[in-house]
Amino acid sequence: MNSMRFDLSRPFDLTFALAPDLVLMAGAMILLLATAWGAETPQRQRAVGRWSIVLCVLTLAGVIYMWVAGHTAARGVVAVDAFRWATDVLVLLGAILAIAMSMDYLERERIDIAEAHVLILFATAGMMLLAAARDLMIVFLGIELMSIAVYVLAGLNRRSLRSAEAALKYFLLGAFSTGFLLYGIALVFGATGSTNIADIGAAVLERDLATNPMLLAGVGLLIVGLGFKVAAAPFHMWTPDVYEGAPTPMTAFMAAAVKAAAFATFLRMWMEAFPYLNLAWHKPLWYLAVVTMVVGNVVALMQKNVKRMLAYSSIAHAGYLLVAVVVSNFEGASAFLFYVFAYTLATMGAFAVVMALAQTGERGQQIEDYAGLWRVRPGLAIAMAVFMLALLGFPIFGGMGFFAKWYVIQAALRPPSQPKLAVWLVLTSVVSAGYYLYVVMVMFMKARPADAPAPLKVPGMTRFVIATCAIVLLVVGIWPRPVLSVARRSLPQLVHLTEDVPRAPTTQQ
Amino acid sequence: MRDFLAGIGYGDWVLPALLVIPIAGAILIYVARIGRGRGDDIAAGGSARVIALVTLVAEFLVSAGLWWTFDTSLSTWQNVVMKPWIPEWGANFIVGIDGISLMMILLTTFIMPLAVLGSWTSVREKLPAYYALLLVLTTGMIGVFVALDLLLFYVMWEVMLVPMYFIIGIWGGERRLYASIKFFLYTMVGSLLMLVAILYLWIQTWQAGAPTFSYDTYLRTIDVSRTVGLLLFGAFFLAFAVKVPMFPFHTWLPDAHVEAPTAGSVILAGIMLKMGTYGFLRFAMPLFPDAVLTPVVRTTMLALAVIGIIYGALVAMVQPDFKKLVAYSSVSHLGFVMLGILALTLESVQGALMVMINHGISTGALFFLIGMIYERRHSRLIDAYGGIARVVPLFAAMLTIVSLSSIGLPSTNGFVGEFLVLVGSFRTQPIWTLIATTGVIFAAAYLLWAIQRILFQRVTHPDNERLTDLNLREGIIMAALVIPIFWIGIYPKPILDRMERSAAAFLTLVTESRPAAGAPSGE
Amino acid sequence: MLLQEVATAAHPLSDTIAQWMWLLPVLPLAGFVINGALALFSGYHRGPADPAAASHDHGTTPGHAHDDAAHAAAHAEHASPPRHRFAGLVSVIGPAVLFAAFGLAVAIFGAMSSTAHLEQPFVQRYFSWMPAGELQIDAAFQLDQLSMIMVLVITGVGALIHLFSVGYMRDDPGYPRFFAYLNLFVFFMLVLVLGASYPVMFIGWEGVGLCSYLLIGFWFSDKANADAGKKAFIVNRIGDFGFLIAMFLLYANIVSLDFVGISQRASDLAPSIVTAICLFFFLGCAGKSAQIPLYVWLPDAMAGPTPVSALIHAATMVTAGVYLIARSAVLFALSPVASLTVVVVGALTALLAATIGLKQWDIKKVLAYSTVSQLGYMFVGVGVGAYAAGIFHLVTHAFFKALLFLGSGSVIFAMHRAYHATHSHADAQDMRNMGGLRRFLPWTFALMWIATLAIAGIPPLSGFFSKDEILAGVFARAGHSELAEASWLGIPGGPLLYAVYGIGLFTALLTAIYMTRMMIYTFHGPNRTGDAEQKHLGEAPWVMTLPLVVLGVLSAIGGWLNIPELFAFLGPPQWLHHWLDPVVGAPTLRVAGGEPAHLEPRTEYALIGAAVAIAVAGILFAVARLRPSRLVPKEQAVPEHGFGRVLANKWYVDELYDRVIVRPVVGVSRRLLWTVTDTWLIDGLIVNGSAKLMTFFGRIGSFLQTGSVSTYAWAIVLGVLVVLGAFTFR
Repeated sequence: MNSMRFDLSRPFDLTFALAPDLVLMAGAMILLLATAWGAETPQRQRAVGRWSIVLCVLTLAGVIYMWVAGHTAARGVVAVDAFRWATDVLVLLGAILAIAMSMDYLERERIDIAEAHVLILFATAGMMLLAAARDLMIVFLGIELMSIAVYVLAGLNRRSLRSAEAALKYFLLGAFSTGFLLYGIALVFGATGSTNIADIGAAVLERDLATNPMLLAGVGLLIVGLGFKVAAAPFHMWTPDVYEGAPTPMTAFMAAAVKAAAFATFLRMWMEAFPYLNLAWHKPLWYLAVVTMVVGNVVALMQKNVKRMLAYSSIAHAGYLLVAVVVSNFEGASAFLFYVFAYTLATMGAFAVVMALAQTGERGQQIEDYAGLWRVRPGLAIAMAVFMLALLGFPIFGGMGFFAKWYVIQAALRPPSQPKLAVWLVLTSVVSAGYYLYVVMVMFMKARPADAPAPLKVPGMTRFVIATCAIVLLVVGIWPRPVLSVARRSLPQLVHLTEDVPRAPTTQQ
Repeated sequence: MRDFLAGIGYGDWVLPALLVIPIAGAILIYVARIGRGRGDDIAAGGSARVIALVTLVAEFLVSAGLWWTFDTSLSTWQNVVMKPWIPEWGANFIVGIDGISLMMILLTTFIMPLAVLGSWTSVREKLPAYYALLLVLTTGMIGVFVALDLLLFYVMWEVMLVPMYFIIGIWGGERRLYASIKFFLYTMVGSLLMLVAILYLWIQTWQAGAPTFSYDTYLRTIDVSRTVGLLLFGAFFLAFAVKVPMFPFHTWLPDAHVEAPTAGSVILAGIMLKMGTYGFLRFAMPLFPDAVLTPVVRTTMLALAVIGIIYGALVAMVQPDFKKLVAYSSVSHLGFVMLGILALTLESVQGALMVMINHGISTGALFFLIGMIYERRHSRLIDAYGGIARVVPLFAAMLTIVSLSSIGLPSTNGFVGEFLVLVGSFRTQPIWTLIATTGVIFAAAYLLWAIQRILFQRVTHPDNERLTDLNLREGIIMAALVIPIFWIGIYPKPILDRMERSAAAFLTLVTESRPAAGAPSGE
Repeated sequence: MLLQEVATAAHPLSDTIAQWMWLLPVLPLAGFVINGALALFSGYHRGPADPAAASHDHGTTPGHAHDDAAHAAAHAEHASPPRHRFAGLVSVIGPAVLFAAFGLAVAIFGAMSSTAHLEQPFVQRYFSWMPAGELQIDAAFQLDQLSMIMVLVITGVGALIHLFSVGYMRDDPGYPRFFAYLNLFVFFMLVLVLGASYPVMFIGWEGVGLCSYLLIGFWFSDKANADAGKKAFIVNRIGDFGFLIAMFLLYANIVSLDFVGISQRASDLAPSIVTAICLFFFLGCAGKSAQIPLYVWLPDAMAGPTPVSALIHAATMVTAGVYLIARSAVLFALSPVASLTVVVVGALTALLAATIGLKQWDIKKVLAYSTVSQLGYMFVGVGVGAYAAGIFHLVTHAFFKALLFLGSGSVIFAMHRAYHATHSHADAQDMRNMGGLRRFLPWTFALMWIATLAIAGIPPLSGFFSKDEILAGVFARAGHSELAEASWLGIPGGPLLYAVYGIGLFTALLTAIYMTRMMIYTFHGPNRTGDAEQKHLGEAPWVMTLPLVVLGVLSAIGGWLNIPELFAFLGPPQWLHHWLDPVVGAPTLRVAGGEPAHLEPRTEYALIGAAVAIAVAGILFAVARLRPSRLVPKEQAVPEHGFGRVLANKWYVDELYDRVIVRPVVGVSRRLLWTVTDTWLIDGLIVNGSAKLMTFFGRIGSFLQTGSVSTYAWAIVLGVLVVLGAFTFR
């Protein structure tokens, strides 16, 4: 098909460029109205869930159409490039899995709020905006749209105090950090006279603002705001509490999709708007990455609760992804996409297992509760082991996780190479083996206590999620080529440098 | 024989086959259980061990062909198979063998069926998983020995780790949890740094415009500054030194050996430790000759090797636990290997290879014997025995023979290896060799003292009066191991011939400046 | 054996019976295989003997010398357990292979002596053993005059001792095992003397050590026996260390390890290197042949069955060191310093052992120390370059010492039967319990006196000739030779050698004394065995006596092998000397400094006179001083005091070694290496320590995780300040 080139100042083009997002939002609205009427029953909840999945799939189709069509856009509020579509695919994938999980979860916890699925859809819409955003205002819009929905999701379980507490914490701190974000945007605007990322980049380039204090302050605050969303130390402290308190499927959604979207925009900003202050923001980000990796991994060692452990592990992975942002070259971008794909599958799968193993009311989420799991639920145990090893970045048995980590390392080693950063990444990974393997050890090598309650039957959807994640991970782990080649081609378009999508540098041979 | 094998195109498919057969067996184990319910004790899961045994025997038979097809006149890679894997990264599935890997493969395929026999009755639960893991492990180990692509090598290197981790952790002794995690982490620290080093090399080729992981290309093209070379070598060194294990990276070994089930210890000692020395021979030293030849580095490594020899022997001498004693003796033996490799003479390198093989056989046999007696008495403590030569003469005879070969008595395999290592090393490193040679005294001390306390003197524990001697299965295992002990001891020529070219090639790679003339090249 | 490419084309022996020499070791090996199989699979259910298993216990009686006949006798009396079921078969195979080998050896000897000019050794290559790099070690045997002599001694004496064992071990349940070990020993011993290169020789060298280990600990149920075996093996290993290093030095310098190649290239070696090589070789000899400082294992080795002591620890294995030096004559001849070292150590060992021998009560211990002492003589001989003399003494010593041991064996055998009959626990090897045995064991008595006179050096018995030859050699070299010119640790060689000669004479005196003492206490004076026992004392069966007779004859006439020129009227002079000339002639000449060592007949007469006088004096002194009637049985005996105690306790050398070497090594290994370094430092501090550190940080991290929003907010603020700060002050 002939790929169009949008002029985003024309309403039609803009609409077209935003088509998938609009489809999702519209569908979400309709679903919301549909759910507003009528009694809250499990059946309804499931029905809405099913429809939400359908909607996501439709959106996915739209995204893929746009992607394949290979449309491009001149500079404007939104980007139309492969990077965006790839990110969309990832967040939609996260959404689908999350919805599938929450269908079973809500049923088991007897929370018949069909709106939950819709909220997930809204959050997803926000993420897609983030993926698209090439204007700080859009970024803000997306972040808010995403966050507000997620705040609600975190507090979905009205009966649970911890859930409510989590929601409140998340909301308060989220608001707090959003303040910084907004202020950062303002400062940047003040310094460059534009909120458009491309223009900012151009302005920085033309007017040599590399050392402009106002701009730098703005950048700093942006780092803070985004750092909060991606849970980078020291802006991570909310994560464990929220992840632990929130309903498991929502935790999974937060850990995977929210992080992915926030990082996507983070990366785009840093590649497009501030490349020329590289020196200026390189060091702080560098340290941010190291600190995050260290804190996440080290503190995770001490966790007794699976969800908290996974929370810290997600912090650690934020650190690894920050490495990709630090290098923020094309390799970094594709490494990021590849990594997020693996990470999403592993995290989603892990949380799905956690959910499947939890007794009603989110009990039985201590790691020790998994003792001897292998003897009673070999399937779950093996799947969980795969996810753990994937998060650890172990070849074959950890499937794709290995190549993901690998890809980030080699991106870091690309000139200007950061061997130190790579070594930090590796060493902290060794630490991470301490807690990932601990889970495996408990599941396989510890005896099952006599009084341990028999795990509940694993509902269909969850089973589907777990199986999908595990199988995809393993297959891609042996044969990464397809995913890899896609990731290598899904690069952000840097309009202020050149008007067409740049091809990846020399790596092509 | 050669013609027949050539007729069936043996050389082209043997290596992939060796990698696939065990996996197939592992799958078969579970396929065979479909519809058999959950039972996995010996009664219900017995089929697993049979399948595993058959598979590994088949594996051995398949690999045995290499003995004949291997062309001793070539110093190039043989039976090379190359398939694209991840062209974007220039990662390929390249396998091939030279004399060194040939012997390591045969050692592996020879030990593995015995390992299955050794666990025949001692493993009582979760049989399918256990034997499946053994099979996967086999693939991993073979993979390490045949990989000629550094990414493939790294993947295989890590793949070995997991099955062994589970074997120790699930079927091991009392402190198995600690031992298994220690084993895993110890190895991982080293190997992950090695990964960074590999990637660093890869980036070089990427900058050159043709990213690749091909070992041969690296051999020809690597050109890094002195410091960088040292750092990279350091990363490789750490990975391999842990596996060897060289002092002071050895403390995972006693725990792992002691806690692992019999087959686990046998495989650890018999095959896995060789991966470290193999790594030095194949990768660390040929890739960074300048780093190795840096006086301070070489001296340090020699010192560590020799310390390992003496230290291992002395510490072994005072172990109350026989299995631990043998574990420390491994540190000592592998010290000889490292000495031989570092001495960089043809004799010493070939000797080192012989020691690798011999240690696999002798120490493997020792662990088997410990396992056999442990099954009867459930104690590994030396003091728990004494005087049992009266009760179990066959066992006693076997233990004596194997110990003597481990001591390095002439006309057993142990002597050939150690003698070659020492006589060769003496030419370039007389002082270190002089010190190392005292190791033969201590070796005699700790093993004879141990077998005296186990076999001789008066029977002190009434339980020992009722011990039963080796049964047929155990007899077969020991026979299979004792025959090579004498064969290698008396007529090692065929093995030495098969390894000579490769050893020479190794020396050229390390000692001659780039581009290495006699370097093995797959192209 | 794979008979590959037998590269022996031109040699005159190649198509004589000598081409079958590979059969020599193979015969005993076959014996070992058969007997071993019988032992293993017949003793499958019932293990070897254990004193505890016998009706009552000899093994643990305090102060009981752990000897064997106890059990033999035990089973003789109350046939429990019954004689081994394959005993008949074994007692045929065991000795048969030895006699066959001996026959073959004699035949080969005939072939050799009938063929003229055998300057070159007859080397047979079978297959390439260790080809690696430049190293080419063949599995090859070498037959020359020297190895021929050794083969004859080994197979001949060996055969006799096998025969003796048939009777001696008659009722032992470990009967087949015993013969298996014995055959295996002979196999290795033959490999040792036939090996054509040092590595092949080393096979035998270590192999005999192994067999001695196995045979010393034959009754391993006794800790002492097992310990003795272990001690022997480890001390020998120390020697083997020297042997190995010597080989390494040879290879590193002349890239050759086979005797032919070395004899060609030895001259290329730098003097210092040669000295080093020879000294390391001598360390090996000191281990194998029980010289200072490594002699300590041999006395303990007496724990083994007496035939073993006779074969291994008197006649053959312990003389391997002497053989090694003779074999390496080319090298030693090049290094006066090393040769002098050998001489001095040999002399001192001879003296030391003799002094200890004076105060031993255990009959076998006396013989053990006398063996050490005699070995010292041999080393003096080969040390001064009188290689033929050394070998000569080796041969005669094999005769009379084997005889002495077997004799003591039949004494002990008799004593045990007696004690066993009366269920006494007394020590059957302590001479204080013997006395007056001549009435009961006339044959043994007579034959042992022959041996005693021989060892004391009374003409015309064998010992006289060989010992005299050595002493004369020393005296001659002291006068004029390479050694006399050289200096050792600053001491000029000449005076040193005169001193050594003095020591030699004095030792001869002591030898005469302690041997006579042994004879007197054992056979003369009143019987202290006890009245009840006396009626049970008696001569052993013929299988045991016959070998004694044969050896007695040999000890008597052995001297005719090498009659000094002086006594040419007695027979062909210097036969052995001429026989060995192709092997050690050149080195001997070299050491002697050009012309053959020669003494004026007058001096020679004087020397002989002195030696004989000394011997006679010693015997008379012993006869005069010792009062067997005053002796009391061991039980009532009062402990020695003063210098006597020091001697009785062997100069406390064992204790010294234990304190200075064994305990420190073990202690250091256990405490410093294992506990501190391994467990505490590496594992505890570094490995687990780093893990603990991580968890500690983790704890801090989770401690900050208070759960209160304000904390988190403050953390964010902090982060903001840091980031902005980083931007501002970079």
